[in-house]
Amino acid sequence: MKATTETQKKSVKLHNEKDQGKKDFLDSFIKVAFVPMLIISILAMLSPIYILIKVSISKPVDVLTQHPTFLIHNFTGEHWIKVLQSGLLFPALSKSFIVATATAIVAIILATPASYVISRLPKKTKYIIVLALFFTRMFPNVGIALPISVKFIRWNLIDTHAGLILAHLIEQLPFITWILVGTFEVIPQDLEKSAMIDGASRIRALWSVILPNAAPGLAVAAMYVWLNSWNEFTYALYLSLSTNTLPLQIYYYVNRGGFFQTATYATILMIPVLIVTYALQRYIRSDYLGGAIKG
Amino acid sequence: MGASASMKFIKKYKLEILFITPLTLYIFYFTLIPILQTIQISFLDRFTGGITLENYQYLWGKQHFKQAFGNTILITSLGLTMQMTAGLILALMLKRNFKGKGIFRSIILTPMGVPTLVSGVALLYIFDTQGYMNEIIYRVTEGLKYTGLLQETYRFIPINWGGGGLKTIFIIAFGDMWKVTPIVTLLLLAGLESIPPNVYEASEIDGASKWQTFRYVTLPLLKPAITMTIILRAVDVFRIFELPMILAGKVTPVLATYAFEEYRMYNNPNVSGAASTILLVIIFVFVLLYLKFVDKGEGLT
Repeated sequence: MKATTETQKKSVKLHNEKDQGKKDFLDSFIKVAFVPMLIISILAMLSPIYILIKVSISKPVDVLTQHPTFLIHNFTGEHWIKVLQSGLLFPALSKSFIVATATAIVAIILATPASYVISRLPKKTKYIIVLALFFTRMFPNVGIALPISVKFIRWNLIDTHAGLILAHLIEQLPFITWILVGTFEVIPQDLEKSAMIDGASRIRALWSVILPNAAPGLAVAAMYVWLNSWNEFTYALYLSLSTNTLPLQIYYYVNRGGFFQTATYATILMIPVLIVTYALQRYIRSDYLGGAIKG
Repeated sequence: MGASASMKFIKKYKLEILFITPLTLYIFYFTLIPILQTIQISFLDRFTGGITLENYQYLWGKQHFKQAFGNTILITSLGLTMQMTAGLILALMLKRNFKGKGIFRSIILTPMGVPTLVSGVALLYIFDTQGYMNEIIYRVTEGLKYTGLLQETYRFIPINWGGGGLKTIFIIAFGDMWKVTPIVTLLLLAGLESIPPNVYEASEIDGASKWQTFRYVTLPLLKPAITMTIILRAVDVFRIFELPMILAGKVTPVLATYAFEEYRMYNNPNVSGAASTILLVIIFVFVLLYLKFVDKGEGLT
């Protein structure tokens, strides 16, 4: 591999030397613009987060003026103290936390056995099932949330944890199944076969041989489901009238025009997501999506 | 005969069936049935329950709905163009080797760690009338005035980004782009990395310029990845909900927010169902047309 890139470089070099008279506009443009483009990308990716945190810790003079400042001139903790003391944070925080955790646990319990079975199917059947799971994503969630909401009013599930967990599973189950099929696929079938030859029952072989091998994948998938449920807004909006999750609380303050509470709540919602995403970064595999579609 | 054969099948695969049934039932009961119900109620009269096309006629006569329809199409086309361009540029940058590439990759992936709602809030501050984008524009124009390149401050400053029209559509598309650029970049980078290096070698030997290599080698070979990314993203942008809710309120409705409004504000589930059904049809038609005419089945096989 390395050798090919070496020869490739050499041939490129030779070629460039040979052709020095011919100008390659794009090539020189890239040489000049590469570093500025790096800097612009970094600024574009980070500045919204900076601004958000900045607003949450700035005195109103810095923000509510004709000409807001880019640096923090007047630091204050009053918005954070106000939000922490308001008594509105913890009900929302605990609802979001309980719902996200329960959704992740139930999703793992329901999706793990199913995705194991799917991963062992013949390639063509597997492809069809994975594609069918993708098709459930094509449905607009306002279209699903509408009858669910009507149904849950009848079942007295509005404003309950259970109702929201059931609703979040709608989006998360196809997603986690998709990821877990990929996880089980790479565990060789011989592992369970040899365990069964050694006298273990099928269930036992799955439990003590396959499951430990899949554990890291399960953990990562569960974390993603937790994050998705923690962020979820649409179903929460449809299924809540008097209680709030954290995202709903943010929406409430956006509508009320609470500039600083919005920033503070948004920062609180963001912190766990940012930390977990950075921690899981090396597990982000774009072929989760690609591999699934390509069968 | 048939019964005993199916009994045999059940006996042989009883574990598999036991494993897969709960998930299947859940998706059936909580996804498939609701979708069918939504389509069904969209054809029912709100009061009598009889079959009717009234809900669709009502939508067609309503200015707010037409606006939502147009906005959805505009946001999708603008958003997809912007995020595919940004994602492709970043993927091409990450394909090169440079110092600090690992850190750069981490920074580029940051928006994945920001909930969509939060990114909407951050953009609310940036695109506020007294926000940071206007401040940047103001400072740049002031600077130009100072150097004498500009005679006077233009009257369009400060820009009212959230006031409706194309400006608001732009900030919604921008917000979506910011949030999903990492995913688009990763998908396209995976595609770029699957292109064998000897193809580039061959094009170098043939004396192709950078642009020619990109246009006639990279892009065609990247087509499957591009197709997949566009379909995945289009499905999501058509359904866009949170960003318009936060950034535009009622001035720039899209189909999803319109459906919500009909249900929650006007307590009219039938019309809401009709709006959702139209959205569903748009998504299906887009995916089918794209696969048939643009991709011709190359990307998904």
